[in-house]
Amino acid sequence: MACLHDHSCEDHDCSTDWSLYKHIDLSKVSALNEARPGSVKSVFKAWEERLNSSGEHLESNEGDPELLVFIPFTSDVKIKSISIVGGADGTSPTKMRAFINRDGIDFSDAQSMQAIQEWDLAENMQGVLEYQTRYSKFQSVGNITLHFPDNFGADTSKIHYIGLKGEATQLKRDVVATIVYEVMPNPSDHKTRAESGGGFSHVE
Amino acid sequence: MVLEATMICIDNSEWMRNGDYSPSRFQAQADAVNLICGAKTQSNPENTVGVLTMAGKGVRVLVTPTSDLGKILACMHGLEIGGDMNLAAGIQVAQLALKHRQNKKQQQRIIVFAGSPVKHEKKVLEMIGRKLKKNSVALDIVNFGEEDEGKTEKLEALLAAVNNNDTSHIVHVPAGTNALSDVLISTPIFTGNGEGGSGFAAAAAAAAAGGVSGFEFGVDPNLDPELALALRVSMEEERARQEAAAKKAAEEASKQEKGGEQQASSQDATMTERASASASEAETKTNDMMDDENALLQQALAMSMDDPAINQEAKDTDMSEAASDDPELALALQLSVADSSKDSSSQSDMSKLLADQSFVSSILASLPGVDPNDPSVKDLLASMQNQSEQKNDDKKPPSEEEKK
Repeated sequence: MACLHDHSCEDHDCSTDWSLYKHIDLSKVSALNEARPGSVKSVFKAWEERLNSSGEHLESNEGDPELLVFIPFTSDVKIKSISIVGGADGTSPTKMRAFINRDGIDFSDAQSMQAIQEWDLAENMQGVLEYQTRYSKFQSVGNITLHFPDNFGADTSKIHYIGLKGEATQLKRDVVATIVYEVMPNPSDHKTRAESGGGFSHVE
Repeated sequence: MVLEATMICIDNSEWMRNGDYSPSRFQAQADAVNLICGAKTQSNPENTVGVLTMAGKGVRVLVTPTSDLGKILACMHGLEIGGDMNLAAGIQVAQLALKHRQNKKQQQRIIVFAGSPVKHEKKVLEMIGRKLKKNSVALDIVNFGEEDEGKTEKLEALLAAVNNNDTSHIVHVPAGTNALSDVLISTPIFTGNGEGGSGFAAAAAAAAAGGVSGFEFGVDPNLDPELALALRVSMEEERARQEAAAKKAAEEASKQEKGGEQQASSQDATMTERASASASEAETKTNDMMDDENALLQQALAMSMDDPAINQEAKDTDMSEAASDDPELALALQLSVADSSKDSSSQSDMSKLLADQSFVSSILASLPGVDPNDPSVKDLLASMQNQSEQKNDDKKPPSEEEKK
């Protein structure tokens, strides 16, 4: 499939650019208002397979085109752009709103909160459109929530593929390495080498 | 073991004063709530449960979702009954309380006790149901109390709107002798979507089934080993005491054997006593000789002899007719009993049977080609009787010697 940038794909492998999907924590991906529980996991696949709609896709409930997709990552990532492949016949979403590093957003939260960025989507059946992000705001993303409030007029919304392009930093957010809980803190337990070396300071 | 935050909506409206569920609808509801809280917290220690009331002055949250069972049980005290239930507002407040749960990883569930009539329209309920489904909140409905026309239909419509992949359930509990909590224990509300039941639910079901549960003496040895042991020991003692009493009765009856033997009535009387003594002895013998093949025969004999003891005249003819239908079988039974048992009493039983004039004559009457009025038959009968008396005399000295 043709890429947007003007070079032939033999030079570099476009798929590596979109390889953020490897850093998605698939087991913790969830969606609200999906018709089949767990079907959201099928939209995250390799770039080459983005048009392969033989498998499952994400579909919303009857009569309600809103969708909310929660995507956690295994490490902090920087997201450069997002690509969405929707369904045919008006089931593609028209708008996308993103929230970063927020846990447990539901529809009332999504509707009331200010999104970090919003996009108007076009019908992207071939998967060639990518939507750029304001890169400075997407620098250390531990999880991202995508809210699709509306579609092109069908009863339900369908999404076949969500692609994220960017860099993975291998850093993890708020991982606490070691915690020592003490009932009564005793500074003598935590003598550093400098202190024990021969300082005059001495705490009882 | 699914991680869940649950909000329980209690109906404390005026309709709950009714006593068609014992002791009152409200009490039955409170018991059910206690059981549910226990089951949820047991199935997963991180589960939280909250409670709110739907009637009264308005929807009021008594306790926000917490895993502290004591807090939940304490808030159930001192609840006042009154007002009218507001189902829609109750569910919406429950949804809000769940939204602000502390652990966002918990699944959301609402359990509603719908006891009073539902005054909302079906459309309103369906809209609420769709909103719950959209936010992936499961809903369990307990339909009890008032049987309003349309109430069941509305609640079923609400369930259909909420239900996503069978995570939501509805239970209809009609009024009756069964307690509300007992009925709920076996439902998916307790057992949690067919996970196989938590241990709590299974144990509670066993306790609710009571003594019918198949445990010996109706007491679970796991729950109360000392009580089960005490019951078993006393059962053994009672059995031993009964055996001793039966042996004593046998001794006394065999002593009476010597006395009343001449008349048919006294024979019947002794046969009665013999029958009862032998019946009890047969029982003890059957208890002792369970492995013996003749145990069943002895039981049959005892049973057949029990009947004359109870109702002499009618049952005598019954038994004799039955035996006369198949006299060979009766005789065979008696002979086999006589062979196997060493006790003199049953042998004398057999001779007693033969000595019973009416019995023998009826047997002979049933035999083809035998006329009881035939003098030769009568002679035979008389000789048989003499023989049986001699037999008894013979047996008595040896029995006396045995007893000495």
